[in-house]
Amino acid sequence: MKILLMGHPNVGKSVFFNRLTGAKVMESNYPGTTVDFTKGWMRLEGEDVELIDVPGAFSLEPKDRAEEVAVKMLEENRDSVVVCVLDASKVERGLYLALEIIERGYPVVVALNMWDVAEDKNIKIEVEKLERILGVPVVPTTAISGEGFKELVSKIKEAAPVKIEKIIESASGVRVATSAGEGGGGESAAVSG
Amino acid sequence: MQVKEEVVKVPLSVDERWDLIEKISKQTVEFGARKHTLKDAIAELTVKPLTGIPVAIAVIYGFWAFFCEFAGTLFTDGFMVRLFDEHWLPWLQSVFPGKETWLYFIFVGDPAADNCFEAFGMLTSGLFVIFGVVLWAVLAFYLIFAILEDVGYLPRLAVLVDTVLHKIGLHGYAIVPTFLSLGCNVPGVTATRPLETRKQRFMMMTLLAIFVPCGAQIGIMQDLVPEMMGWIFLTLAIGYLGFGFVLNKIVPGKSPEIIMDVPPYQMPTLKNIMSKLWIRTSGFLLVAVPFVLLGCLIVGLMYLTGAMDWLAAVFGPLLTVWFGVPSETVAPLIAGFLRKDLAVGMLGGLMEQGIMTTFQVFTSVILLCIYFPCLATFALMIKEENWKEILGSLASLVAMVFVYGGLIHLVGIMLGVA
Repeated sequence: MKILLMGHPNVGKSVFFNRLTGAKVMESNYPGTTVDFTKGWMRLEGEDVELIDVPGAFSLEPKDRAEEVAVKMLEENRDSVVVCVLDASKVERGLYLALEIIERGYPVVVALNMWDVAEDKNIKIEVEKLERILGVPVVPTTAISGEGFKELVSKIKEAAPVKIEKIIESASGVRVATSAGEGGGGESAAVSG
Repeated sequence: MQVKEEVVKVPLSVDERWDLIEKISKQTVEFGARKHTLKDAIAELTVKPLTGIPVAIAVIYGFWAFFCEFAGTLFTDGFMVRLFDEHWLPWLQSVFPGKETWLYFIFVGDPAADNCFEAFGMLTSGLFVIFGVVLWAVLAFYLIFAILEDVGYLPRLAVLVDTVLHKIGLHGYAIVPTFLSLGCNVPGVTATRPLETRKQRFMMMTLLAIFVPCGAQIGIMQDLVPEMMGWIFLTLAIGYLGFGFVLNKIVPGKSPEIIMDVPPYQMPTLKNIMSKLWIRTSGFLLVAVPFVLLGCLIVGLMYLTGAMDWLAAVFGPLLTVWFGVPSETVAPLIAGFLRKDLAVGMLGGLMEQGIMTTFQVFTSVILLCIYFPCLATFALMIKEENWKEILGSLASLVAMVFVYGGLIHLVGIMLGVA
């Protein structure tokens, strides 16, 4: 098992990496500090697990060299758990990437990082509800001060792949079938119950 | 209760994904009233042109003043020059055996030298350049870099200069690679990766390689010719913008707008500043020590074998007629392929010998900046660019050296100083 740290540029992935591995990679407060991947080792419940700091990407359709590296890392490490680091003050943007990764069948843990910034901006996120809808662990963190890390690490083993239909179902209270279809799947047939 | 059943194709389309995100965030995220905090106020002050430009000037001036005081006055002039010129050099000259031998020449250099710039030996000039001058310069540079980076000032500076850089087909983001290059061109070149098109990357790398001097080079220039620094930076900035303008016209491809996030200001942590200072300074020493010593060795051997005199004779006419610098500058130009700081240091040796006019020193310093990126930068460019782009960069470089170098000479002639 490997762990990939993914997320938008400048959400704090490298700070995560340094905290979790005790390594020293460059951390700065501007987008694009990490342009290549870095590997390190962290302890997870008594075993050594490889952790990879992936360059920031807005989506899995690469637009620049750094994003190309990110997508390549994801594809080359099919057996990884992805810790998707989101800027808690810009949840929507970050969820886009998180959903893309979930759709590709990776087990994901969502870290709502920069939680302190979100609080400053008076943004409230219902973590438990978000967790229920997504079906993946969601942990608020403040990487710079290290808050939330213990919980995050303990949730990594819980991560399991989730079907996107499930997420759509729980987000809209609507039952959904895949095109591959369990249960026939007509064109949005209304069923009363 | 109504339950709808829909068909979903995986992966979702872009619109479907955003639809879903909207549904999720409506249920889980609540945006409260935003308070205008002190952070916001500072953020605005540094981005709006009316206040932002004075702030930028103050920041850069503060940066420069600290750099000169800390590296130049305090460490180099205060401690290191004394240590090297009054103790290390005389001691080495007295204990190193065989003044007439080639070993002495390689390691100690000129037995009559009374300062480390003039000596040219590996253990004299070589060590003095690294530990006497450049180490303190890069330390000061990296310290301020780390603070500015962690606070989050760079993206604001990018917003401010965006309009100017647009005129040469670059964007505010170019400030990040440029700024990093002022420390060392190597991370500057890697920082071009977030640029979207090959054209932008090519232009940026070429401009960095030609016109942006690194911290080591700036440090030694500041030690050698402090009174010229303003003119040097002005000349390089004009070259950067002017040549950028030309490149943008002739290089095929597009320069789309880059949208850059402006992150919130943050209090830098001492731990991270220290960690970055360590990563960068140790990285500097790891490359600089072997390369500077190797450069000294090669140049020393070339003097001993007569290769240097031969090169000076061959390139002398070109150097004197076209660029207006003495043929002796061939030695620093050779050293500059390996390390720019060593090259400028060697120029210092020539200055001490009194064979150059002020204007010739100025021209040589500029030539050393623009004629070739150092070996480490060039090796990285080969990795980052394809062969066509490499040839393009080299062609631009050669053209630039001749045009710009000649132009500087011409201006000198017209002003009557060359």
